[in-house]
Amino acid sequence: MLEFAQWVQFTGLFTYLRSSAFTYPIILSLHMCGIGMFGGMILLGDFRMLGISMRNRSISDLIDQLRVPKRWGALLMITCGILLAGSKAEEYYYNAFFRVKMILLLCVFVHGWIFRKSVYENTKALDAAPQVPAIAKVAAATSLLLWTGLVICGRGIGYIEPPLDKIHAEVRPMDVPRAVGAVER
Amino acid sequence: MFPALWARLKGSLKEIMLAYDPATNPLNNNEWAFPLCEIIHILGFAFSIGTVALVDLRLLGLAFKSQPASKVLKDTAPWTLVGLVVMWISGPLIFSSDPVMYLNNASFRFKIGALLLAMIYNYTIHRKVAMSEAKGAGAKLTAIISLALWVSVVAGGLFIAFV
Repeated sequence: MLEFAQWVQFTGLFTYLRSSAFTYPIILSLHMCGIGMFGGMILLGDFRMLGISMRNRSISDLIDQLRVPKRWGALLMITCGILLAGSKAEEYYYNAFFRVKMILLLCVFVHGWIFRKSVYENTKALDAAPQVPAIAKVAAATSLLLWTGLVICGRGIGYIEPPLDKIHAEVRPMDVPRAVGAVER
Repeated sequence: MFPALWARLKGSLKEIMLAYDPATNPLNNNEWAFPLCEIIHILGFAFSIGTVALVDLRLLGLAFKSQPASKVLKDTAPWTLVGLVVMWISGPLIFSSDPVMYLNNASFRFKIGALLLAMIYNYTIHRKVAMSEAKGAGAKLTAIISLALWVSVVAGGLFIAFV
């Protein structure tokens, strides 16, 4: 795995990305815009199933209408995510938050697979039920936890200092997190 | 009257800034406080920008095609506001950790400009177009401008760390 990470980050594309002044933050911005646009859809869908938001709308309405935009969003976020991760693959191999994030991402796919039949492709039955069935609420609550965890870990990645003695890529000053208490007058 | 008032206001602001020592801010003295603010800020824009984007998708004809744009707007507006409130609490907290740096940061200035524009646009033209059920190129252009403004806000925020 470590050899693979080292090989990936020294391929031409990822070397370029890592050392670029603007391409890297632009991709990061797109990754963040993905959170803004498609994270919002996930939040609204989950809150609807928990009975908190948009109760005047049926569940099938919200879930079915957002299915396609959500897929585009996932594509954008995953593409940008791969570009970002690949350019610092070796450093992230050691990064605890990155590892947890990948596990959570795997959990997101497992979550979708588990609840597909009973919730996400069963929205008409959810509408017909007098109250939102417990299984849909469980699915929504788990989804919220997973996505919040992903955001926390994603932000957390940048707070772990790169293990300078172990990695082979050049590290720019802006990539080293600011230490707590470093602000001076 | 106004120049004098402005000069006084500027003077007091300067005094406050001189008296303020960021090193005493808990955000700079606790390992978790600053990242926590950032995470809340990120989740906040999932709400604010995410819900605006839904209206834009409707205007572009990419989602909720069977419903009028005004319904999408009415359903999402309270959540946009929730998101904006979260942003306007977590944002200034983040700003307070190092005001001088932020004020001198070109990307931060750009972001605040884009944010004010985006908010004004959202509650004037954008709202009017969505409520009027406008269709065609005008509606699409409104949505594209809205998305571009909000993308600028996000990108401007992120670039603070890179300029």
